[in-house]
Amino acid sequence: MRVKVDLELCQGHALCQEEAPEVFRVLERPGTYDQVSLLDEHPPEALRAKVESAARHCPNRVIRIEED
Amino acid sequence: MLSGAKPGTGHFEEFLAHPALLMLRAWRECGDFAEFDLGGMRNVLVVGADPLEAVFRAPDDQLSAAEAYQYMVPIFGAGIQFGAELDMERQQVKMQATALRPDRMKGYARIIAEEVEGWIRSWGDEGELDIHHEFKELVLRTSTHCLLGAEFRDKLSEEFGALLHDLELAVSPSSVLDPYGAEEIFARRDRSRARLAELVTHVIQERRRSGASHPDMLQVFMEVEYLDGSKLSDTEIVGMVIWIMFAGFHTSSNTATWTAVELARHPAHQAEVAREIDGIYDGTGALDFAALREIPRLERFVFEVLRLHPPLVTLMRRVRRDFEVAGHVIPAGDTIAISPYVTHRNPAYYADPERFDPDRAYPEHVFAYIPFGGGRRKCVGNAFALLQVKSIFCALLARYEFEGVDPPESYRDVMPSLILQVSEPCRLRYRRRAR
Repeated sequence: MRVKVDLELCQGHALCQEEAPEVFRVLERPGTYDQVSLLDEHPPEALRAKVESAARHCPNRVIRIEED
Repeated sequence: MLSGAKPGTGHFEEFLAHPALLMLRAWRECGDFAEFDLGGMRNVLVVGADPLEAVFRAPDDQLSAAEAYQYMVPIFGAGIQFGAELDMERQQVKMQATALRPDRMKGYARIIAEEVEGWIRSWGDEGELDIHHEFKELVLRTSTHCLLGAEFRDKLSEEFGALLHDLELAVSPSSVLDPYGAEEIFARRDRSRARLAELVTHVIQERRRSGASHPDMLQVFMEVEYLDGSKLSDTEIVGMVIWIMFAGFHTSSNTATWTAVELARHPAHQAEVAREIDGIYDGTGALDFAALREIPRLERFVFEVLRLHPPLVTLMRRVRRDFEVAGHVIPAGDTIAISPYVTHRNPAYYADPERFDPDRAYPEHVFAYIPFGGGRRKCVGNAFALLQVKSIFCALLARYEFEGVDPPESYRDVMPSLILQVSEPCRLRYRRRAR
């Protein structure tokens, strides 16, 4: 799978990092919203459930999962 | 332009009576770019999901929220939110988001669950109550507790609630045109705000004296720093507190009320949601953050409530530079109105839109469903709001079932202020479930 994030809409709530810390890390950005950074754009199948959960819990719905 | 404009005032009177219905009529008559006139202020209601996406993604120097929401400045205070410069406002919103981060939310979940347990302890096996009145009381307690701590909640939440109410009354449709007019509601707003400032400042000073740290939002506001290393002043903290209460109090209590009413109106769905809750919670002790995380049926039910009854029916942006979208040019000086209430009733995205159906298919388009707004200004409290509503209904439905006292169609969307609520009285009957 391939994970995509829409950084224009990310407000850095960090729920994705709670769900799947292997894939998402929220980086501090002084003076404006923190923002997610992808540690792994192509996470292994074993992480699928966690990544889907992260996408579902994102308050801003910025995470998309596409199939390779 | 929408029909029925009156000379001088345009559609303002109709807006005063019921903003949501005015906008619904405007869209049905004029389509996805519907113009109406509020006392000389030309508004364009934008409805389709693609143009909405363009609106939500537009930069502030083109579509300004601050200019459209100046009527909130006397409520939150000078130097706060839209009373501050854009870069300061962005930092303040981030501070609000910091107070709502997942690590803090776990503590709030515990507080909310405890409050809910305490609240229903005296309910007995059955009864009848005005559920809107009840939810206002409950959410006032959970909010003041999470925001200002246990002590404040015990001693002062009642006065706090009454003062807040005075502020809410002043966010009237008339304030959109002039929030500094001679009306008594504005004078009362200013007196009540001064008293609120006194109450909150007192708590801040007590904390500074004692040096104690608390697991609430006020503590975050006292500790966070601006980019230049400075902290919020006491006056700014007061503004932050009022702002977050405003964002979360009525929106949440009204959503909880409509959820209870829709459960009562749809007994088969109510039974399904209750069965789901039975699987995760036995009705003893308090639910924690982890248990509340994933409750799909209840979540779908609440989403459908927020689709048909979004508490904020109008969001606004002032056009600062001509804005072109889908072949339409909306000129500088106009106001763009965005209405979750109307957008969520668009049959292009929702079949038979007025039908309440938690099992319906939802559109993929992120901007076809906007109960919390969208884009960079989307409500930063939305996860907190859902957590709170889920916590309330897990505790309630684990123990009780609900039915309407009055005919189902008598529970209606009304708008005594700019926030949508259920018509009053909102009476429901409850009975202890057999388990």
